[in-house]
Amino acid sequence: MTILVPTKATGATAKTAEMTYVEPAQQVTDDELAAALPDAGLDMAFVADFLSAALTHERCGRHLYRSVAARTNNPVLKRRYEELGQETERHAEILEDLIAGMGGNPSYVSPAARGVEGADTKLVESTSLLGGSLDVTTREMVMLQAVFLAESLDHAHWQTIAELADHLPDGDLKDRWARAVGEVGPEEDEHLEWARETMGKMVMLQAASGTMAAVGAKAEELVETVRGWFS
Amino acid sequence: MAFNPLEQRGIPVEEQFRSWSELSVEPLDKLGDPYTRCRVILMNGIEVESILFAHQFARATDDLDIRRALALGRRIDQQQRAVVNNLNPGDQSPLETTIGYEQVAVDLTAWLARNEPDPALKQALDFALLEDFDHLYRYANLYELIDGRDAAELTDSLTEIMPGRPTVVEHRHPYDDVRPHYDTHTVDPLSRLHVMTIVAAEQQTMNYYLNHSAELVEPVARDLYVEISHIEEQHVTHYESLIDPLDSWFEQLVFHKYDEVYLYWSMLQQEADPRLKRIWELHLEMEIGQLHVACDLLRRYQGVEPEEILPPELPEVPLTFETNKEYVRSVLAEQVDLRADGTGYRPLDELPDDHRYFAFQGIVNEGGTPSEAVVDEIRVVDGRDFRDEVEGPHPVAGLRA
Ligand SMILES: [Fe+2]
Ligand SMILES: [Fe+2]
Ligand SMILES: [Fe+2]
Ligand SMILES: [Fe+2]
Ligand SMILES: [Fe+2]
Repeated sequence: MTILVPTKATGATAKTAEMTYVEPAQQVTDDELAAALPDAGLDMAFVADFLSAALTHERCGRHLYRSVAARTNNPVLKRRYEELGQETERHAEILEDLIAGMGGNPSYVSPAARGVEGADTKLVESTSLLGGSLDVTTREMVMLQAVFLAESLDHAHWQTIAELADHLPDGDLKDRWARAVGEVGPEEDEHLEWARETMGKMVMLQAASGTMAAVGAKAEELVETVRGWFS
Repeated sequence: MAFNPLEQRGIPVEEQFRSWSELSVEPLDKLGDPYTRCRVILMNGIEVESILFAHQFARATDDLDIRRALALGRRIDQQQRAVVNNLNPGDQSPLETTIGYEQVAVDLTAWLARNEPDPALKQALDFALLEDFDHLYRYANLYELIDGRDAAELTDSLTEIMPGRPTVVEHRHPYDDVRPHYDTHTVDPLSRLHVMTIVAAEQQTMNYYLNHSAELVEPVARDLYVEISHIEEQHVTHYESLIDPLDSWFEQLVFHKYDEVYLYWSMLQQEADPRLKRIWELHLEMEIGQLHVACDLLRRYQGVEPEEILPPELPEVPLTFETNKEYVRSVLAEQVDLRADGTGYRPLDELPDDHRYFAFQGIVNEGGTPSEAVVDEIRVVDGRDFRDEVEGPHPVAGLRA
């Protein structure tokens, strides 16, 4: 099991804000954030905040995949969620290396990262807290929908990382960013496309098979139906 | 001795239900160890918070499995609470229990402040410490006034009784009770436990005072309870605002259970009474079982492993009820004139004349103030107020007898 949550023990740092207090030893300022990173002609404190948000989203994505892989009733989805979860964990590692390689702290949690974590927490909660009002097939849809929404933001983050990389001056830093984008970018295209396509397939399967018509269907029968999807 | 509850089995939750006869406990002697009474009061407050939180959580979900897990945990907590709360003896009047509550508030808050690694949280504790310290003095005067009794018999002089930041000046505009919160990622695990513990204690006190004010006969007593219950509401607002709202429902549940484990483990370390020791030990084992359930929910529904958010072991030092006389005196000497100002604090003489503090004071204290009246009355009757100053004269010249 990989520890993905930054804590004081892993060297977490944060900025103070109007309503966030950070113990002095864990505090960082914009000046310190910028000073830690090489001068690349960009607002580097902002870049540090943005990378922290992107990294947080990959970490929360890993958690989401762990959770939906354990809960789906469909073996095809389960395998896919596990694969995507592993790739997502790898993306988190790549971002950690990128940040650390620039002199930043991968355990820095920016205000933007808090915003992302807040959204991601609600997203994963949406797959369970309303479980009682959703039948077995709808729960599958809600889990996949969470994956799609997560992958949409993930995809956008990496597109932005690619655009930022273009703005970096030629040199080692730019090369490292380009390598990261080269490795992760195509996978993000694939993740998002897979989630979008699979949502469509799931809708079509049900629209065509009349699963919905069987409102009174027993949960076990629905589980059986779900198990047979995509096979 | 490193103790990691995640590595302990505990008692599985399904095996935790007890019969009515098992819940029927022999109460304590009201003149026994005051710190045993403190432990009982604190752990009752902790169970109440655990139950109220699980109710709030249940209202945010309709998932059958999650709701059932919460219902099961709450019922067990209710049984634990019944055992703990009924250790209070029936011959202990609400006012005597109240003196116990304020002794908890003083010695819990002071101990937490002394052991708090984060200076801003320590300041929050020091700030409210002086207010609860004053409540003890006001209630002790009420005790002498209406019962003719000496509160030091209950506190055993382990906690001094003398004015703190006078209750009359504690009333502030609600806006000035709201503080910034810690950051859930950077916070020290000990700080998180401290804040959760003090929130539970203050919440119970707030409820106790207003629930019991109506049972009292003497107007001065009823009014004093009403007045102080409003400071306890201020304290709940003050302390709960320190908690980072970023934590998910499942994370909050794990943190609640972890705090219960830490506290029963702490109570067990320091309890001398073997009968009580057995209760603390049983409840510790039960909480470990409940913690496992909370961790399973976190793992299943959020994909987070408990080791990702919990420390590798409990804090080395158990939360301890012990005398804090010197510490309280030092904070009194330095901070009695501090007032809340926005999300921070400022000395009284630095508050501008048009500060909302003064306007609010004018409103609530307009027709007289019960916490002053009770001391005025006893001065008329006895020619002095009631104090238990063990370590010499009051550290603040203006508050000497
Ligand atoms: Fe990713
Ligand atoms: Fe992705
Ligand atoms: Fe409990
Ligand atoms: Fe109090
Ligand atoms: Fe209080």
